[in-house]
Amino acid sequence: MKNILLSCAIFISSLLLANPVETGHAKASLITNLQDPNQESFYVGIRLQMQEGWHTYWENPGDSGSPFDAVWATDEGVIVENVQWPTPITIPYPPLMTYGYEGDIVFPFQIFRSQETNLKEIKVDFNFLICADICIPESASLSLDLSVIAPSEILDKQIRSLPTKLISTESLIKGGSLVVRFRRDAPFLNAYLFPREDNYFSYPETQQLENVADNIYEISIPLVSANLESFSGILSLDGEGFLVKEELQSATGGMSLWQALMFALLGGLILNLMPCVFPVISLKVLSFVSMGGDDHTKIRNHALAFVGGVMSTFLSIATALMIIRSTGSMIGWGYQLQSPVVVGILTLIMLGIGLILLTNINIASGLTSLGTNIQSRNDYSGSFFTGVLAVVVASPCTAPFMGAAVGYALLQPSFATLPIFLSLGLGFAGPYLILAIKPEWIGALPKPGAWMETLKQFFAFPMIATALWLMWVFMVQTSGDALIQLLILGLCLGLAIWLIATFEKKWRWFGLLATIMLSIQIFNNLPTPSVMQADANSTSWTPTIEAELQSNNQAYLINFTAAWCITCQTNEKAALGRDEIQAYLMKEDIRYIKADWTNRNEDIAEGLAQYNRTGIPLYIFWKPGMNQSKILPAVLTDDILIRYLR
Amino acid sequence: MKLMLSFVTFLILSSNLMAAEIVLQNPKVNEQAPAFSGIDSYGNTINLSDFIGQPVILEWTNHECPYVAKHYDENNMQAVQEQAKREDFIWLSIISSTPGDQGHVKPSKANELTESRSAYPSHVLLDESGDIGMKYGAKTTPHMYMIDSEGILRYKGAIDDVGKGMQFFSASLKDAINYVANQLNDVKDNRQLEISTTVAYGCSVKYNYD
Repeated sequence: MKNILLSCAIFISSLLLANPVETGHAKASLITNLQDPNQESFYVGIRLQMQEGWHTYWENPGDSGSPFDAVWATDEGVIVENVQWPTPITIPYPPLMTYGYEGDIVFPFQIFRSQETNLKEIKVDFNFLICADICIPESASLSLDLSVIAPSEILDKQIRSLPTKLISTESLIKGGSLVVRFRRDAPFLNAYLFPREDNYFSYPETQQLENVADNIYEISIPLVSANLESFSGILSLDGEGFLVKEELQSATGGMSLWQALMFALLGGLILNLMPCVFPVISLKVLSFVSMGGDDHTKIRNHALAFVGGVMSTFLSIATALMIIRSTGSMIGWGYQLQSPVVVGILTLIMLGIGLILLTNINIASGLTSLGTNIQSRNDYSGSFFTGVLAVVVASPCTAPFMGAAVGYALLQPSFATLPIFLSLGLGFAGPYLILAIKPEWIGALPKPGAWMETLKQFFAFPMIATALWLMWVFMVQTSGDALIQLLILGLCLGLAIWLIATFEKKWRWFGLLATIMLSIQIFNNLPTPSVMQADANSTSWTPTIEAELQSNNQAYLINFTAAWCITCQTNEKAALGRDEIQAYLMKEDIRYIKADWTNRNEDIAEGLAQYNRTGIPLYIFWKPGMNQSKILPAVLTDDILIRYLR
Repeated sequence: MKLMLSFVTFLILSSNLMAAEIVLQNPKVNEQAPAFSGIDSYGNTINLSDFIGQPVILEWTNHECPYVAKHYDENNMQAVQEQAKREDFIWLSIISSTPGDQGHVKPSKANELTESRSAYPSHVLLDESGDIGMKYGAKTTPHMYMIDSEGILRYKGAIDDVGKGMQFFSASLKDAINYVANQLNDVKDNRQLEISTTVAYGCSVKYNYD
């Protein structure tokens, strides 16, 4: 009697839990770790208990087979993320090799729902291929009653054992194999790398593991095709999975540390010519010109001070990025411009510089060195500050080569981050460093004269233009009201500059006080970021859009952009936004997708990380027949673009 | 001593043979296709070299594999075969299943399958040892190869683009991009293909490996 009751209870509870479905060679069920009916984020798992000798497949099934397919029936406001694949095992079928799971396995899916959603039940059509030596497609329609709270320990256990940690690797292609070097302090016996890419590896061949130094290992995965540009997958160490993701040496994306350093140096040098830096840099050049007749020590010291300013700012940015990233935040180059406060401050700095240049006011501050003031010649802090300023205003720009280098720096272990940023700084400050080494070369610059005063005044206009552009960014990020507040602040700044320049000391204090008070006023009314609207002719980006479009065989072009990214804006004017290009996209049925990163967005940051980038611009193109989507160059013209699209 | 030597030689030879037996080759496209010779369902010996001057398509098959079954049940494979035949292609359906495994058939059964499915293969090769399959690195059923009239391998891979994932079983094969059907003309003209290599999908070829 007791037994009957017990089995009844088990039967009923199993009904309530998940409605297991017998599919033929397995039992499928839905389980969840939902603990509270109002929880906004929780997991649902598809549990598959396979009969002995049968298996199903991983994302990359290996030589044959297929991963499962789960079609969720969800209400509006409910998002089911992609499956988080458990660490697979090798299932050899000589001479073939397949990757998958045996026995009892749970496939976890993260669910998000808004509070308004009254989600009572979750349903899925689960189709999978189950194989012993023969294969059978089986399926189950599963549903789970979410009003019954019965958190599953099995699911939690599976989630805890999911491969979530990224293990950093350094890889190269050597002798027909991909050699992946990694560090592991804890001892292990067996290692296997499960590659996600499906067209490059010879799965059946043995992967050789070698201990090359203390705690440093190399695993070789035989290749069938050597033109591998990047790879990702799961490294299994005695069954414990680690995520692996790396770009390899190639012209477009992946590179070695060496290459990254060279790219950074080159990118830094080109950065000098980018529109956001050019005005500030040209002022510095002018100040050097004015030193034409000076003694070389002075020139050298000024150049070194400028280089010092540049380098220490790059160092600070690198450190800040590393610290913030270590907290798990996905940020990259130009991230500071995602904050309207920073954009506002930069606007005021640009406006201020513009006004000072135009009115030829001498202010006893670090800014003087921007001009050609003779008294401040010994004030090296001025040169230092110009260096700092140049980097700060450079932050919205990405020069060619730079994106790849910075992406590499930030996605690599920290020992690679600092050298790359320093190399970037070195490239940026390169011309001045040369001046410091060879001060006599200053003679090659034009002779100083009255023309410099005129040119200096002229440079006020690029500065103010930059300010205008930043104002636009600010408006996009916030609202027209906030922009008016910023403009009022600009007015006060102008007044303060005039007061300081024209009157005695006490008035200066007054001016300063007025500015500070107004600043407080603005900061109290901190604007909230607004949501950008997609253009009429573009689709908004979503994290899964690439997979969706690829599975529909729909060609696409993704534009990762932001209002503050001036390179992006230039590309849009020069290529993407042009009528001919839009007509071409329409004609060839290429879906144009915009990922707008004007405001902070973790999804987009992760999307960029998939391409080993942390900054923008980034253009991704795919059409049916291509194995992998392609990264287009960072600087586009319509010719270049059309060539790539063809 | 002599005995000893020959024993050692035997060991070396046999270990080499065994190694060769389980390693799949990976022939390159736009290079000479590996030569082979096999027995068809009527007992004739078929050499690839017999067909010089005519383009050839190789189709690895296993009628019990659900992937193959879908292609035949929906009359998709037959349609491609018919199209190829019209373009003067030789179509060789190859069964590399080892005796006792799924898909292995007697010659009579092979002919009966051709009849009942209204298929158009020029020959059905019974590759019980898996030799031809290993030479071509055939991994799945279906797995397709196209060879031009000069004996150059022009295509290896999937028959179409719908094999990734379980969507295959609900997909429409008629709407798929069929890499074989679409590129018949280029192969006939002995040209390099735009899409020459894809990842084949389906059931594993049931080789003899015990």
